[in-house]
Amino acid sequence: MSCKKETKLVAIVDDDDSVRCTLQELLRSAGLPSEGFESAEAFLGSGRQQETACLITDIRMPGMSGLELQAVLNAARCKIPTIFITGHGDEEMRFQALRAGAVEFLPKPFDDEILIESVRAALDR
Amino acid sequence: MSDVDKMKRTTGPVASLALRYGLALASVAAAFGLASAFMHFHLPQTFGAFALSAIAITFWYAGTPPGIFAAVLSSVVRDFLFDPHTSPESRILFDLVFLVFALLMTRVARVRNQLELRVAERTAELTQLNDNLKREIAKHNQVEAELRLSEAYLAEAQRMSHTGSWAWSPPPGDIRYWSEECYRVQGFDPKGIQPRFEEFLQRVHPDDRARIAEVIESAVREKAEFEFDYRIIHPGGEIRDARSVGHPILTSSGDLVEYVGTIIDVTDRRQAEKERERLREAQADLAHVSRMTAMGELTASLAHEVNQPITAAVNGASTCVRWLTREEPDLGEAREAAQGVIRNAKRAAEIINRIRSISKKGESKRQLADVNELIQEMIALLRTETKRYSVSVRTELSAELPKVMADSVQVQQVLMNLIMNGIDAMKDADQERELTIRSQRVDNRTLMISVSDTGVGIPPHQVDRIFDAFFTTKSHGIGMGLRISRSIVESHGGRLWAADNSPHGASFHFTLSAPVEVGA
Repeated sequence: MSCKKETKLVAIVDDDDSVRCTLQELLRSAGLPSEGFESAEAFLGSGRQQETACLITDIRMPGMSGLELQAVLNAARCKIPTIFITGHGDEEMRFQALRAGAVEFLPKPFDDEILIESVRAALDR
Repeated sequence: MSDVDKMKRTTGPVASLALRYGLALASVAAAFGLASAFMHFHLPQTFGAFALSAIAITFWYAGTPPGIFAAVLSSVVRDFLFDPHTSPESRILFDLVFLVFALLMTRVARVRNQLELRVAERTAELTQLNDNLKREIAKHNQVEAELRLSEAYLAEAQRMSHTGSWAWSPPPGDIRYWSEECYRVQGFDPKGIQPRFEEFLQRVHPDDRARIAEVIESAVREKAEFEFDYRIIHPGGEIRDARSVGHPILTSSGDLVEYVGTIIDVTDRRQAEKERERLREAQADLAHVSRMTAMGELTASLAHEVNQPITAAVNGASTCVRWLTREEPDLGEAREAAQGVIRNAKRAAEIINRIRSISKKGESKRQLADVNELIQEMIALLRTETKRYSVSVRTELSAELPKVMADSVQVQQVLMNLIMNGIDAMKDADQERELTIRSQRVDNRTLMISVSDTGVGIPPHQVDRIFDAFFTTKSHGIGMGLRISRSIVESHGGRLWAADNSPHGASFHFTLSAPVEVGA
């Protein structure tokens, strides 16, 4: 599967509705359009990976985890700059994510400035 | 009358006809012999006197007809055998004497018969009275024996229940009756003399004396019932707990006559109550420890559960600030974001409250509880866990459940334990992971809650053992969860049992009861 960045879409994958929706609102207030997915499977099934310029994903989710999603995308040679947000991330997870090419690893709750800067940086690549 | 006749005829001195006329014949013959003997010895002529005696004897012993026969026979004997040469005048005189005597004797015999009859009647009457008296005495004896037996039963019952009964007249009166058990309860010798009220008070613990004297005094003043608990000091120094109840007996005009009542030794009962209380406390402590252990295992999960709404709230607050600090602040967007903050902060607070309520330690508090609500709350609290292991939760909650009288925290502990067990059983299962929580009404008072999973199930040989203490199939856990859950359910008057689900998984069911019957 090839992966060309056609637009500058920000995809948010989090199973928690309130976190996902408020995150979208936050990005909207910064002028960044985004799309939410309630699971890794939903995101992969949407066929919008190609147009995704930045992926924000939770790590622990029912079904496929955020790290697994990253692995699947890497395997498909679809390297999307990824920001992990997690409620219970440990150091090991953090290293694993960054080794696999993550641009940021943020524990919840996170600072909006850092997140938005990271997203902007990803989009500017 | 006829009875008396019969009796006379059969039991009289001369019974048969032959004997009676024989007596007449024999007595007249004897008179003739005696008179002949007198004549032989030249004694005065006496046949008349002897004959009269013979007639009288016959009348007396053999009755009227043989008597008349004896009189006729005497005339004939005198006229033709004893003195055949007598003058016709003397013959007539003798016949006349015999006749008159016979008539006289007839009368005498009748009077005698009447007398006999009356005596017989009187005797019968007396016999009857005597029999009646005997019967009365027998009855009285029986009643007395029954009374004694019932008294013995009562005394035995008093002994077994440590309950003595008494009667007491207020001053200037005193104790009027003390049952044997009263002596024993108060530490007196049951064979000793009945104690006076003063002596009773002396056996009461000094700290209790003034109080009970006051209770009794005010009850007497108001002619009311009284009831008090007190301590008794036995002669050996042993202190016993007792309770006395008194009921006033009033005349029809409302004057107080006396009190009747009971003294009960409640020491053993108190002791048992204290033991039960201690057991309840120990059980509550154990349940709390077990709850805290389970909560400890869930710490990460619960922290995550709280972190989610906090993250959402922080996102919302950041968004709000951004809308406000733009070159052209957008108040509408800012307000919307702020409302989201409120919503999410409240959600976080709710979760914390749930965690706190299930973690708190306190004595078991039973209140009316909505089981469905408890189930929903528990599902919400464990959502992170179910998500983490990709377990889908299905609920089938009956809308027509009566409320139950239960300790909500403990019921939730049972639910948490069953749900966590279900998740554990499905962790490594390949098939679909589904947890079904069902609530349904069994009858008017009972409802049943079921937790079913699609996990590894329970091997048949372990069905009986899973409720044993320290039995566990997990690498973590101490094997107390189901044991404690069962003791919680049973202390609520319900049952907790397990069933293997074919083809895979297990079901746990438990029952709870509504406090009163509700309409069907």
